[in-house]
Amino acid sequence: MRPLFHCFHIFLRQISRDSMLFAVLTAPVLTACAFRFGIPYAEVLLCAYFDKVSILSGYYLLFDLFLAVMTPYMFCFASSMVMLTELDENMARYMAVTPVGKQGYIMSRLVFPGTIAFIVSVILMHFFSLTMWSAPFMTLTCFLTSLLSIAVSLLLVSFSHNRVEGMALAKLSGMIMLGLPVPFFLFSRTQYLFCILPSFWIAKLCVDGNLLLTIPAVLTSLLWILVLYGRFEKILS
Amino acid sequence: MISVKNLNFSYTRTPFIKNVGFEVKTGEIFGFLGPSGAGKSTLQKILTGLLTGFKGSVLVNGEAIGQHNNSFYENIGVDFEFPSLYEKLTAYENLKFFASLYQKHRDINTLLSKVGLLNDANKKVSDFSKGMKSRLNFIKALLHDPQVLFLDEPTSGLDPSNARVMKDLILNEKAKGKTIILTTHNMYDATELCDRVAFIVDGNIKALDTPRNLIMKRGASKIAYTYSDSGREIKMEVPLNKTSEDETFLRLIRTNCLLSIHSGEPTLNDIFVELTGRQLQ
Ligand SMILES: Nc1ncnc2c1ncn2[C@@H]1O[C@H](COP(=O)(O)OP(=O)(O)OP(=O)(O)O)[C@@H](O)[C@H]1O
Ligand SMILES: [Mg+2]
Repeated sequence: MRPLFHCFHIFLRQISRDSMLFAVLTAPVLTACAFRFGIPYAEVLLCAYFDKVSILSGYYLLFDLFLAVMTPYMFCFASSMVMLTELDENMARYMAVTPVGKQGYIMSRLVFPGTIAFIVSVILMHFFSLTMWSAPFMTLTCFLTSLLSIAVSLLLVSFSHNRVEGMALAKLSGMIMLGLPVPFFLFSRTQYLFCILPSFWIAKLCVDGNLLLTIPAVLTSLLWILVLYGRFEKILS
Repeated sequence: MISVKNLNFSYTRTPFIKNVGFEVKTGEIFGFLGPSGAGKSTLQKILTGLLTGFKGSVLVNGEAIGQHNNSFYENIGVDFEFPSLYEKLTAYENLKFFASLYQKHRDINTLLSKVGLLNDANKKVSDFSKGMKSRLNFIKALLHDPQVLFLDEPTSGLDPSNARVMKDLILNEKAKGKTIILTTHNMYDATELCDRVAFIVDGNIKALDTPRNLIMKRGASKIAYTYSDSGREIKMEVPLNKTSEDETFLRLIRTNCLLSIHSGEPTLNDIFVELTGRQLQ
């Protein structure tokens, strides 16, 4: 375990020395504050202006979901940027021939950040969510969004060759989040066009409250992870 | 120490490494010699467990590659063909980090001073020259005092004096009983350092022997000499072990009439070209 923690430590050190990545990590906290205090206030103003009882409040759950996705997404984005630098410097490959090992490297760059992101997003959701969440349901949702962001992380590192490409691709990978609003706006069967997106199933799970929907949410994420992991492993050797 | 049997591997569908087999004894320096793209680095990557999906059996330091666990790397030192260092950290910070991955390690400053980098220890690696990076990358492989070293072109890009220092360090490791796999393009380095060399061409071992034997097999060394005969310069050759039978040669020596004379030992490069039909470089 010791080499693994040292390997994770150098990862944290790289993030702390990179002001851009450091800023990325604070973004979820800022967003959480903006959502929690800005949106109910905007709702009051909008309702008064249009003379309606509710405009945004029907979508408070959607804002919560965005927050639940955003935290792990930002953490995994930072992780991908570090990994792309390490690939560039041949460090990722070198770790595989030290006691850290290939699996250890992947653990420290994907599973550790994913776990931390999970904890942080539970904390943020607990303090800043706009709707009421039961503790188990919130934990489940944050677990699913963290799993999803590991897939996004793998997508970034296996399809871009450097940080610049990685950042461009990160914007595109936002598409994966496109599944979130689907169950809020599409009610017919057309919504299932988005069934390969884990984010669609996460949102549907929260909208319908049917725990069985956890299964497709997990399976789609795992499918993405599996396919992308194969590609990433080739790059590592 | 290292045993490879029936090794087959390819990046694509067409076979590349075909039926390679060899043994390396403890304390031996074993050279991989071959033209660019022959598969030398690929072989090293297989031996260090970096490339999976090969067929055949590979044993290194008593462990089967593929079934090895991470503690296997406590005794393996690898110097990749390209530097693998954190560019934003200093040389010292880099070594300190790598040292933290192992149970034991050598003194960092001693290693730095051995390759003349002690004064640059606190410089960022991104400000290093190519040769400085190579040297740092090399001592990184020695840091945890491993039993087996895999060195992929360690001397490439170095000036002669630094190359000398590095070759002495390699010989020093050998003297301590370490087993070393050395990849190189440089036949002089190979002749000097390696106990045995394998000529690798297109993923095959074309010849495997001590540099001395490989050179001897080609036949005796020759003497080439020139002399003047009625205004024309004549070139002659005689095998070193037949000089006493060459009357012309003896007469020329007695009469001080030789224009030029040199002995020509075949080099490893000549042998390589003869055996493989390819140039080394
Ligand atoms: N990751 C990879 N994917 C696909 N093909 C590869 C990969 N790495 C190397 N190759 C191919 O394998 C062959 C051997 O490459 P390798 O790096 O082993 O050569 P080498 O003998 O080390 O050459 P050099 O002396 O130039 O370093 C080359 O044809 C190369 O294109
Ligand atoms: Mg090579």
